Amino acid sequence: MTNEIDFDELISKYKSDPFDYVDVLAVHTGRVSFKVMEGAEVEAASGQWRQIPGTVLYEINRERNPKFISAQTNGTVAEINRELDGQFVEAGEKLMTIKHPLKKKEIIENILKDVLSLFVAPETAKYFFAMDIQSRIDKKGPGAVTIASGDEVLTMSLMKRDTPVYYNGEKGVIHSIYFKPGVSVAQGEPLLGICAADKLSIIQKIITRVKADWDTDH
Amino acid sequence: MVDNNPSPEMVLDYLRAEQQSVLRQLSSPIDPSDVFRYGACIGTSIKVHSTLPRAMEHARTLINDIARNKRSVATGTVILADSMTQSKGRFSRSWHAPDGGVWGCLIHGNNLLPESRHFIPMATGVACCETVRQYVGDAATLRWVNDVLVSGQKLAGFLVESYTEPIHSEEFTLVGFGININNSSFPKELAGLALSLKQFLRHSIDLSDFTARFLAKLAWNFGLLYHEEAKHLKGDGYSGQDGEHFILSRWKQLSDTIGQDVVYGFDVMTAPQYAGYACGVDESGGLVIQLPDGYKKTEYSGEVRYQTR
Repeated sequence: MTNEIDFDELISKYKSDPFDYVDVLAVHTGRVSFKVMEGAEVEAASGQWRQIPGTVLYEINRERNPKFISAQTNGTVAEINRELDGQFVEAGEKLMTIKHPLKKKEIIENILKDVLSLFVAPETAKYFFAMDIQSRIDKKGPGAVTIASGDEVLTMSLMKRDTPVYYNGEKGVIHSIYFKPGVSVAQGEPLLGICAADKLSIIQKIITRVKADWDTDH
Repeated sequence: MVDNNPSPEMVLDYLRAEQQSVLRQLSSPIDPSDVFRYGACIGTSIKVHSTLPRAMEHARTLINDIARNKRSVATGTVILADSMTQSKGRFSRSWHAPDGGVWGCLIHGNNLLPESRHFIPMATGVACCETVRQYVGDAATLRWVNDVLVSGQKLAGFLVESYTEPIHSEEFTLVGFGININNSSFPKELAGLALSLKQFLRHSIDLSDFTARFLAKLAWNFGLLYHEEAKHLKGDGYSGQDGEHFILSRWKQLSDTIGQDVVYGFDVMTAPQYAGYACGVDESGGLVIQLPDGYKKTEYSGEVRYQTR
């Protein structure tokens, strides 16, 4: 966790530019054809399982197998690599950028991700707390549960094979929980945000400041 | 005096019989000698007990004790107990384990690649279902991922857990098994849900003989995991139908999940999440469930219960 936190710098960064810039990359090699223009408003996938597709961004066609790729985040198309329209591209090539307006909650989460020690998913799987940790959370709440390197904190469940996951970061309390039991977490995505006990008050100040400085949720 | 006391020789004899039956098939896509060689370590050491609190916990203690003596527990070691006093299923569910059942744990040294380990739970369910079918025929089926049902009631369940011993950090897979054989009383909450082989057949069977058959099937199916891995690494693909993993093909033949209306949940007993139609499994064994709006969701964890139509 960062020792020195410059509140004003953090807040002014999000005040002056309350957006995330999300790059849209080619999902695989193929010939691309753009379906949106720069400045277009796009909608993210929606529905309980995100099963309702968002705005179609581009079509990619490889070996006569065309696919329409839709937006995963809402916002405005900020930049588009027009010269790639109709061209054959490699997997992972940047096609466009979506400017996503951040909500107050997202700003707090982004700041916390900068200042907390993140413990990330070792594999794409479902996660739940180890029984001992869960019972301590049930009794005291996550903010009162301290974990240290080597502690068994989670169980990773994949095809009914359960693997204990050991924490390997600095000692601290569980400040943020980024997973829900039963919902799959992609490899590398954060599972927990850990905060050294003596930094908890600083974190709380950040949250209070952001809540006070942003009047509305948008 | 221990009731369930199969010998490694009994297991080996049944494993040889399995190998011979595949050798007799004219066009089997698998090499039975390879499968035999890979799987033969399962059941070479069988430790029997009249009672234990929990077999999985006992396995961890055994692994650690041997590691402290600068040795490694033999892969394929099996721990059996006639009864268990603190057995549990997944999450915090209790598992009733009185005399008469097959209760225990297999210790498997982890030397499979992650994509092969993925199939261990299915291989375990296949092994048990194949064994039970020797007694009840097609009445035994598999419910995704590896519950063994007989006439729709649960006969066997499994726990598969990874364990890294703390002394040398050697990784193991522990396969816990609970199979209702000659036990015939269940707690009230399991009435109508659980069944023993004795209840179905209306007579007891030889417990040690059943266990030896099951361990031989386990050895065979673990051997298949290695066989498939080696074949795939050589670039020859898998041996199952349309190039899929052989364990997956076998699972499809034994399972009645596809085509069922199901309720899905990570812990379906206490927190069912949604209902849908089980329309298939993908190449890695994930269950594809079609929701009422037509959307198809693939689950790689959790469990299902069937809904009556």
